[in-house]
Amino acid sequence: MGAPVGALRLRVQFAKQGQARFLSHSEFSRTLMISARRAGLPLEYAGAKMARMKISLSPPLPIGITSDGELVDFNLTGYVPAAEACALLEKAMPEGITPVRCRLMGADTKPVGRVIDTAVFTATFPASVGGGELADAVERFCEMSTLPYERVQPRRTRTVDIRGGVHDLQVLSAGAEGRVSLKMTVDDGIAGTIKPWEVVEVVAGLAGISREVWQEAEVNRAGLFARRGDRLVSPMDIGARRSGAAGGPRGVRY
Amino acid sequence: MNSRYPGSLADRLQPLFSRVERPSRYLGGEWNAPDIPVESTSVVFAYPDVYEIGMSNLGLAILAEVVNAIDGASAERAYSPWLDMESEMRREGLPLFSLETKRPVASADIFGISIPHELTFTNVINLIDLAGLPIRASDRTDGPIVVGGGCGVANPEPLAACFDLFVLGEAEEVIGSLVETVRRAKSEGWDRMRLLEEAAHLSGVYRPDDYLPEYADDGTLKAVIPQRGAASSVAKNLVDLDQWLYPRRPVVPFCEAVHDRLNVELFRGCTRGCRFCQAGMIYRPVRERTAGEVVKLVDELAQSTGYDEVSLCSLSSTDYSRIADVTSRVAQICEQRRMVMSLPSLRMDANSAELASRLDRGGRGGLTFAPEAGSERLRKVINKQISESDMTEAVLCSVRAGRRRIKLYFMIGLPTETDEDVAGISKLVFRLRDAVRAEKLTPPSFNISVSTFVPKPHTPFQWCPQITREEITRKQDILKSTLRARSINLSWHDSEMSTVEGLLARGDRRLGPMVEKCWEAGARFDSWSDHFDFARWMSAAAATGIEPDFYLRRQRQPGEVLPWDHLDFGVDKAFLLAEYDKAIQAASTLDCREAECAGCGVCERLGVAPLLKGSDS
Repeated sequence: MGAPVGALRLRVQFAKQGQARFLSHSEFSRTLMISARRAGLPLEYAGAKMARMKISLSPPLPIGITSDGELVDFNLTGYVPAAEACALLEKAMPEGITPVRCRLMGADTKPVGRVIDTAVFTATFPASVGGGELADAVERFCEMSTLPYERVQPRRTRTVDIRGGVHDLQVLSAGAEGRVSLKMTVDDGIAGTIKPWEVVEVVAGLAGISREVWQEAEVNRAGLFARRGDRLVSPMDIGARRSGAAGGPRGVRY
Repeated sequence: MNSRYPGSLADRLQPLFSRVERPSRYLGGEWNAPDIPVESTSVVFAYPDVYEIGMSNLGLAILAEVVNAIDGASAERAYSPWLDMESEMRREGLPLFSLETKRPVASADIFGISIPHELTFTNVINLIDLAGLPIRASDRTDGPIVVGGGCGVANPEPLAACFDLFVLGEAEEVIGSLVETVRRAKSEGWDRMRLLEEAAHLSGVYRPDDYLPEYADDGTLKAVIPQRGAASSVAKNLVDLDQWLYPRRPVVPFCEAVHDRLNVELFRGCTRGCRFCQAGMIYRPVRERTAGEVVKLVDELAQSTGYDEVSLCSLSSTDYSRIADVTSRVAQICEQRRMVMSLPSLRMDANSAELASRLDRGGRGGLTFAPEAGSERLRKVINKQISESDMTEAVLCSVRAGRRRIKLYFMIGLPTETDEDVAGISKLVFRLRDAVRAEKLTPPSFNISVSTFVPKPHTPFQWCPQITREEITRKQDILKSTLRARSINLSWHDSEMSTVEGLLARGDRRLGPMVEKCWEAGARFDSWSDHFDFARWMSAAAATGIEPDFYLRRQRQPGEVLPWDHLDFGVDKAFLLAEYDKAIQAASTLDCREAECAGCGVCERLGVAPLLKGSDS
């Protein structure tokens, strides 16, 4: 981490697995900030005293859901090779949170929180759920043009069109363990959020699967994306700093 | 998830985490959490409140460090599960578990419970019950020995029936001896009784079963009779801070703890002599850590934790003998590491305010001071030696340094207090505000926190009656009606909680059944105002034949045997009584660091001396 080269953004993709899935969004954010400090990255802060670390996070992940692709931007004050940052972060992270990929971005790149609008989730059901009954339910779900869903939140209850927020829904054939999965591409981020459990609840309802059974499903956020027409683009591939990731100016580290 | 440990409940706990609020409280596996050897003499340290509060307790972190450094011994943590988790655990038949290995606490060898204050008593009983152990020591024939420690053991008598042992004072040294005793007991096949008898001989260990109280017809305590050859009193333990381990890799929680920062202890003890302050009496004498060690600890711990704030803590941080030097050296570390430094427990004088302002140049945050009383006379009664000009200077200095908020702590219900003294709080706050205006400065916002004085054991006010609930409310009303201004926010303590705290603080063993009854009726988290139920406490008192006013409202006589008299925290009872007399005359006693010995008796009784090592290298 050498001579200051102006503001840089380090975009990191994390896997959040194991017991780390029980961390709330604010706990996850705190975990990332403490880990980044422990890693010794040249972090940028806002404000002179009681400074706040400048970071941008992907949309909140509900407690209990694992993820292969949580995304975070750390603003840096100096250069550090992406691979080195990845290694330092890996050492500083607690069990269950692993940096998968790091990439340096230009200072003018939009923060990750303002790019993401879509997420892909998988929900793997207990072995007692058959693929046939789920496939029929998915077909009926996709045929609908709207599907009102009553979202109950601590302070208000409102009705959302869950169908409008689901862009793709597929049943994945049973894997080695004989468990069938639902793969869903849903709004998540700046365009609004459809929660995976809401889709699971509605589809399971259409398939006649009881609450006790569908609540046993294991949900995973497989990826976060920005929609470009019909394409899903990973924020890891948007606005990467060409020279930085490859080498960039090197000087005295840390 | 910890399934390598035989008996681990990890797999059975996992489904519960999806059903409870804040599952991170129960996960373990935080940064720096120790790796526990499978086979070891196992100690579980429990805190009778929720994880975020318990994780801020420095004492348990220090003891865990000491135990984990012993070859073949391990220390794990447990906290009170929140109500949702408790109900899930009871529904699934799961006992209290340790965070590190998820093994049942009942499988440990020593179950150490910190007792921070009286309103955690029902949580203490709940921890023992959740562990699957009988709540009364006399009913326990196996399982871990249950040991209590912390501030609450200044008078643990209401909980005497629940504990096998208590450790008085600082436990760094004796915990090692206790582990060794348990190890011998296991290898030599001692029965539980033999183990407890041997452990009771260790320094500072109080076995309540060895002392039998006798009561007079008027309900007062006649005597506490030692049994089985026990000594007439048990003296507390003291340690030299530099000689003992300090957590080098403190566990950093995933969620925000109440004290979410790096804590480095500057010194223990305080001889300012505030007459209401239990900590100031029971932690004597002052023992400082050397300045070099403080600075070294800050540097090491900042690296191992990743925290962005460090707190140099003690009972009165600006009294550290080289505070200016140590803070400037720590400030350099903070500058390098982008950290901020905080100094809690500031004395309300210009020096402290100036120091705090220097540490945080341009800081827009607030400063907190504790004048405690609104009139000069009452401050003399409680021996809080701060003049109004000190306070004015402190406030002016803070405002000049850019502080926008000043928090002031006061108490109502102090001995000899009149309505004029209570109204004096309002007048003082307005005078401080006016002093700022007179200097053509913008007055800060004043947050005034008013608590109710609860007489505590081992203090000069231990003989005093506590004011009634009605009096508390009336005095609070005086403040509510007089402290009205846009920039002044007033907050106060619940009078019912103060009443129960007062009842338990100076209680004897006859209160034990009342606490049990209240716990059976569902009392949990009594220190949380939304969970505290005064009616439940009063009906438990009525059901067990307790007359609260006997404990709360009675003026104890100087010669009366007090339930904690056989617990020796070093300060002479005669000194406390002399201080009480001086309080009534509004006479001051000076700090022995600045004047001659005040004669509290600690140094002579415990064979120690104040250690003002700040200036040592």
